[in-house]
Amino acid sequence: MPPGLDNLKHIVVLMMENRSFDHMLGSLTAVNANIDGITPGLSNPDTNGNAVSPQPKAEYQSQLQPDPDHHFPAVDLQIFGGSTAPNRQANMQGFVKSFFNQQQDVGHSQNIMYYFTQNQLPVLTTLATEFAVFNRWFASIPGPTVCNRAFAHYGTSFGRVDMNPFEILEPFKSVYERLINATPKHTAKIYYYDTTSSTIEVVNLLQNQPELFGTYQQFLQDCASGNLPDYSFVEPNYSDHATSSGEQIASDQHPDHNVQAGELFVASVYNAIKQNADLWASTALLIVYDEHGGIYDHVPPPSCTPDQFTASANDTGTGMPFAFDRLGVRVPAILVSPWIPSGTVVNTVFDHASIPATVTEYFIGDFSPRSPRETSANLFIDPSQNLLSLGEIRTDCPDFST
Amino acid sequence: MTVIQVPALDLKQSGYDPNRPISSLLKTQVEHLHVAEKRLPARYHSEIYVNAIRTEGEAANYIRAVTEAIHAAHKEAAAQRTAPARKRGIEIAAVADERSRRQRKPHAVKKKGKSAKGGGRA
Repeated sequence: MPPGLDNLKHIVVLMMENRSFDHMLGSLTAVNANIDGITPGLSNPDTNGNAVSPQPKAEYQSQLQPDPDHHFPAVDLQIFGGSTAPNRQANMQGFVKSFFNQQQDVGHSQNIMYYFTQNQLPVLTTLATEFAVFNRWFASIPGPTVCNRAFAHYGTSFGRVDMNPFEILEPFKSVYERLINATPKHTAKIYYYDTTSSTIEVVNLLQNQPELFGTYQQFLQDCASGNLPDYSFVEPNYSDHATSSGEQIASDQHPDHNVQAGELFVASVYNAIKQNADLWASTALLIVYDEHGGIYDHVPPPSCTPDQFTASANDTGTGMPFAFDRLGVRVPAILVSPWIPSGTVVNTVFDHASIPATVTEYFIGDFSPRSPRETSANLFIDPSQNLLSLGEIRTDCPDFST
Repeated sequence: MTVIQVPALDLKQSGYDPNRPISSLLKTQVEHLHVAEKRLPARYHSEIYVNAIRTEGEAANYIRAVTEAIHAAHKEAAAQRTAPARKRGIEIAAVADERSRRQRKPHAVKKKGKSAKGGGRA
């Protein structure tokens, strides 16, 4: 076993909000051709039939108002370009049309094709080029936040494709409950930013098991003191709000929140782990986005193992049922560890079901029952793909000065 | 080792705006918390009318109130589970004391008075 894997004691997942791969990391193709980002020839038609190319004109804030639609019917349009034919193919030609539907403004609808330059996102792009970037990490469902995050916690959304509160259906357990009830017992925590930002996992987890939760301040303290749990799920700040320590700017990068604030937050998580040498040597940090937020990406989502649930035509809002047999739009995903070679690019297909799959496999091993989607998900701790494969720990990893 | 300088957030241009209309994400978070709130004992209810929440700041206030209430309710329940059983006479005395306090301050801490009654029913 490679020493990086041998030393691995902690897995940390930081899940950000609503940005696509091309939007955040597409510029990196220019520095590493193996990264599947923006290349010449990509386009989407606007409602006048003109081809709109991706352009490096993204701004930190103010371009994506109203919030681009990313509910199931809108994402269906974005992926299939409006076709409802039985044998339709995913062509990623409906993003501009979808954004136009919200404001009926042809010029404004082109904003959905804008992407950031490498210099604008020094944190995310440095981590992507210095560690491992995933070319094929997709949202679990072509739909919104709640059902996608459910896959990260439970390996399934229990048949839901929307934002409504859902019920956990037996026999499935959250990855946190699996860990704390395992023999030997493991530790797990969801760190929400603060009580004012809180977490969407309120109804099913916070309500029943508040001991699984901590704040971001506690995360920082746990990193410094070496008391980080085996598995940590970190959530950014979801709102602009005032606290006794001052104004807190939303750091989740959800449109139209400030993307730069999210950069600083990602750097803060990275620094907190790296500043404790023991923790740094024994931790793998996955930075991933829950879904694309309606923003353009050029890679058609592949089909996948169907889940055991089916969403009805009524629930999807498209007039067609959905068997959870296709992934959502591609999102940025980066794995950070000093045991990963610089410049690693992974081409295997992943989705958020890979999170409980990997964490469970690594800390518990054989575990059932798990959803069909989780059972078939690929694992992101995998030395055969250069993930934690180095024989010696790196000493050249970057630092962020904020 | 490379040190990457991350530009500080320009607070003038960062768009701090608690009056920003709530996104579908925050609206959903409020709805999820409302479901959780309704399951709490009545004394922990926020008395905030969620359908009137329109801005990030308003959503944040509600989210904080319910998150803190969930933690407080669990803390109280945990304390009750570990507390030794009280004798009935002491309970009666406590209730009598509570009544006399309420008579002295009829409008004080409205939710506390409600809690003594509502808690058992919820």
